[in-house]
Amino acid sequence: MKTSKVVSLKEAIQEVRDGDVILTGGIVENRRPVAASMEMVRQKKKNLVLIGTCSLSDDILVGGGCVEAYRGCYTSNGAFGISPNMKRRTEEGTIITDEIGHIDYCLGLMAGQAGLPFVASKTDIGTDVLNPAYDNLSKTAEVARDKTMLPNKKYVLMEDPFFGMGTIQLLPAIKLDVCICHVQMAGEEGTVRIDGSLTFDHLGALCAKKVIITAEQIVPESYIRQDPNRNCIPCTSVDMVVEVPWGAHPGQVYNCYDMDIPFLQEYAKMCATQEGFDKWAAQWIFNQNGHWDYLDKLGVSRLEKLRALPPYGYVPRNKGGVK
Amino acid sequence: MNNLFDKRPRLARSNKVVSLSEAIDEIRNGDVLMMGSFVDTRRPMAAAYEIVRQQKHNLILLAQCSLAEDIMVGAGCAIAWRGCYTGIATFGLSPATLRKTEAGKFFPDEIGHLDIIYGALAAMVGSPFVATRATLGSDVLNDQLDRNRILIDKAGNKAMIPKKKFELIEDPFYNQGLVKLLPAMPADAAIIHTQMAGEKGTARISGSLAFDHYFVHAARTVIVTTEQIVPEEYLRRDPNRNQIPCTAVDMVVEIPWGGHPSQVMGYYDTDIPFIRDYVLSARTDEGFERWVGEWILDVKSRDQYLDKLGASRLEGLRAADPQGYRSRS
Amino acid sequence: MTKEYAKIGEYSAVEAMVCHSARFLANFDGKKGLIGTGLPLVASQLAKKLYSPNMIIFIETGQADANPQELAISIMDSRLTYGSSWQMGDPEGLYPLSRNEIDFGFIGGAQIDKYGNVNSTFIGGDYNKPAKRLAGTAGAVDIGVFAKTTVILMAHQKRRVCEFVDYLTTPGWMVKKWPEGTLVRREELGLQGGPSCFISSMGICKFNDDDKVMYLDKYFPGITLEQIKENTGFDIDVSRADEADHILVDEIRLLREEIDPLNIYKMR
Repeated sequence: MKTSKVVSLKEAIQEVRDGDVILTGGIVENRRPVAASMEMVRQKKKNLVLIGTCSLSDDILVGGGCVEAYRGCYTSNGAFGISPNMKRRTEEGTIITDEIGHIDYCLGLMAGQAGLPFVASKTDIGTDVLNPAYDNLSKTAEVARDKTMLPNKKYVLMEDPFFGMGTIQLLPAIKLDVCICHVQMAGEEGTVRIDGSLTFDHLGALCAKKVIITAEQIVPESYIRQDPNRNCIPCTSVDMVVEVPWGAHPGQVYNCYDMDIPFLQEYAKMCATQEGFDKWAAQWIFNQNGHWDYLDKLGVSRLEKLRALPPYGYVPRNKGGVK
Repeated sequence: MNNLFDKRPRLARSNKVVSLSEAIDEIRNGDVLMMGSFVDTRRPMAAAYEIVRQQKHNLILLAQCSLAEDIMVGAGCAIAWRGCYTGIATFGLSPATLRKTEAGKFFPDEIGHLDIIYGALAAMVGSPFVATRATLGSDVLNDQLDRNRILIDKAGNKAMIPKKKFELIEDPFYNQGLVKLLPAMPADAAIIHTQMAGEKGTARISGSLAFDHYFVHAARTVIVTTEQIVPEEYLRRDPNRNQIPCTAVDMVVEIPWGGHPSQVMGYYDTDIPFIRDYVLSARTDEGFERWVGEWILDVKSRDQYLDKLGASRLEGLRAADPQGYRSRS
Repeated sequence: MTKEYAKIGEYSAVEAMVCHSARFLANFDGKKGLIGTGLPLVASQLAKKLYSPNMIIFIETGQADANPQELAISIMDSRLTYGSSWQMGDPEGLYPLSRNEIDFGFIGGAQIDKYGNVNSTFIGGDYNKPAKRLAGTAGAVDIGVFAKTTVILMAHQKRRVCEFVDYLTTPGWMVKKWPEGTLVRREELGLQGGPSCFISSMGICKFNDDDKVMYLDKYFPGITLEQIKENTGFDIDVSRADEADHILVDEIRLLREEIDPLNIYKMR
C-alpha cells in the first residue's frame, strides 16, 4: 500500500528552509503557485535564492522579504509591467541579481535533471550576460544555506573539440533545494498532469531535492495512471501534494480559469512602494485562515467570471465562443 | 555558426503525405540513420523492408542493432553502427549483426545507453557536447576499440561524425573530478513509427517514447510512418498529448500494421512466431536470403504482405482496451 | 483586400509601427519564426491574416506552429495552446533556436544602439543599483545569438535609439568578446545572422554593409526626417531614406476589430 503524500499548505511550506535555492513553477502569470508564495510570506521565510524568473509568485516573495538573491532571465509581469517589488529592490540595490539567459535556464535545468554537471552552448556569446563585472554568482552563493548548490563559476569558455563550432561556453547544471509547482491535476501519490505549457516544471521537479505540488484538484492515483503518456511529472519525484483550488489566482490556469486582470493591475499599482505592498499583503495574505479567507474575500461571483470555457481553456473575450 | 544541425533543404512538396517508396527514396547511401523506438516495440518495420527493397548501402546506424536494423544489416544495407545494444530481447542476439560482425564485414562502435540519450539530447538542443560521468572506467573508452575513424571514413556526410569519440576534463563547476565530454549525435535521417499522425506531421505516441522525441529534432530528415493518418485538427485539440510537432516532420506515410512483427501499443501485440522464425533463419547467409526473399523481395506490395500474413493471424494479435496489448492469459 | 489608404491622424504611431512590421513579415511566409512578447505578437497576427499566412510561429513557452484564435496577452497566455501542433515547455520552445531551425526572431526591447544591439535588462546607474530595472534577458538574448536573422520593433525616442546600449542583451552587429569585452563583429564569435531591420514608430532602419552602422531606410508618411534626427541619440544617416507606403484602411480595421478589439495592447 503506497502512502498518500497529501498534506496541508501550511505543512508543505514548513518544509521550505531559510536560505533554500527555490524555483516556483509556471511562468509570468500562468500556472504560478501564488497560494504557496503567500503561505511562504505568512511563514516569514528568509534568504531564499530565487531561480529562473521573477514574476507574479516570485515577486510576492520579494515583496514579503523572503528573497535575498535572484538568478534568472525575466523580471516582468508581462502586460502588467516590470515586477514591481523586484524593480524597487533592484533599483535600491538591496537584492542580488545574477542575469542568465532563457536558454541557459533551460539547459541548466536539463543538465540538472539529466545528471550532467555541465553542457556546452553558444547561448550568451557576445552579450553582457558574460560580463565579469556583472557576475554576482559568488554573492548569490553567500546567501544560500548550502553553498554547494551553486557552481564554482558562472561559465567557462573553450574551443569545441568535436564539430569545429569555435568558442563555446560551458554552462553548469542548475541545482534546486525546492521546486513548487501549481498544476491542474495530481494523484494522491504525486503523479502530475499539466495542461498547456509545461514551462520548466517537468525539468525543475526532477532537479529539486524537495518537490511540492499544489493542485487545483487531487484525483485518485488510479485514474491519472490510466493514461501515463498524458502525465508530466512522475510520483517518484514528488514529496508533497496539496489541493489548492484557485491556487494560482490572480494568474491563469489553462482549462481551469483565466487571469484576473483588475487584480493584477491593482497589485502592480500598490507594490510600487514597500508600504503599498505591506498594505496589499495585510489585505490579501495575512488572513486568519490563509487561502480560504482569501477566496471568500474574492467572492464566488468574481471567481465564476474567470472560469475557463471548453474547448479553448480560457475565457473567450467574445463570450459564447471564439469567432 | 556551424550548420551541422540544419535540416536538409525542404522537399518541394505542398503535401507531406507520401508513399513509402517515395519516403525511402530520400534516404541516401552513406546516411547516418536512426530507426525509431527500441528492440521489438513500435519499430518502423515496413520502412526497414523498403530500405532492403531499394538496396540502400553504406548506412551508419545509431543506437541499436535490433529487430528493424538487423534485417538491414543482413541485407547489406548498413556498414557500421554506433550504439549500445545488439539483441532482440528474449529472442536472442541479433543474428545477422552477429554473423557480419564476426566475419569482419560490419563495424560496431560501442557507447552506453545513456550516451545515446545524452548525444541525442545534445543534438536536439544544438549543443556540440555535454559532460557526463557515464561509461567512465569501462572499455567504452578503450582507444584500441574506438571506431570513430572508421565512422568518419564510411559516412556520406562527414560532418555528422565528431572529430573524436570523447574527451576527458576536470569538472570546473561542481568538483566532480574527471568527466567525459560527449559529442552530440546528429543523424542524417530518422524514421519513426507512431500510432497516429496528422497530415501536417503532428504525431501522437502511446507507450514509451524511447528516443523518438529527441531524435526527430536531432535528424536532418524525418520520416514518420504511422498506423493511421488522422485529421491534423483532431490532434490539435489536445496538444499536450502529442509528442512530435509538425515542424519536425518532413514526410508522413500511412502504413497499417507498419510495425509488424513488433508490437504497437493500443493497436497490436508482438508476433512471436514470426520473430522466432526470423531469428532462426537469419543465423546463416542462406537462411537469411530465403527469409528476405519470402517476406520482402518476393512480396509485391504492402497489401500482399498483409494478405500473406492473413486476417486470422493478425486478428489474433490485435490489442485490447484498456491495457493496449493482447493479454496472454 | 481593397487598397484604400487610411488618413494620417486616423491611426496612432504604434499602429503604424505594427502595420509596417506585419508587412515586413511578408518576407517570412512559410518560414519559422520565434515571436517575442508584446507588440511582436500583435504584428505577427496581422501578418498571418494579410501577408504571410504560412508563417510558422514558435513561442518560447513551448508551442510549435501556434495558431491562437484570440490575441495573447503574454508569451504564456492560455490562448496560445489551443490549436498548436505540440505543447511542451520553455526548453522545447527554445531549442529550435539553439539547433538552428529558426529563420527569424521578432522582438521588442527598451533600447537599441547604432549597431542593432538591444537592451532589455537595465538602463542607467550600475547593474547592481540600476536607475531603471527592466524585464531581463528572457528569450531576447537567445534570439539574438541563434536566429538566422532578427527583426526589432520599438518606439522611436532619443533615449531608446542610442550610441551604445547600457547592457547588451540581444547581440546585433558589433558585440562584446569576453573576457575583455572588446567590441568585435558578430561573425568573429561564430555567430550567424544579425538584425535585418529595426522598425520604429517613425520609420524603418537598416544597417550599412561595411561598418554595420544603422541608417534610415524608410520614413513613415507624416513623419519628417528632422523629427527622426531629433529623436535619435546618435547622428543617423537619413540621406538614403524614402517615404514608406501609406497605411491601409484594412490593416487598421483588422487591428481594431479582429485582432485587439478590447485595445489590450493600448495601441490607440
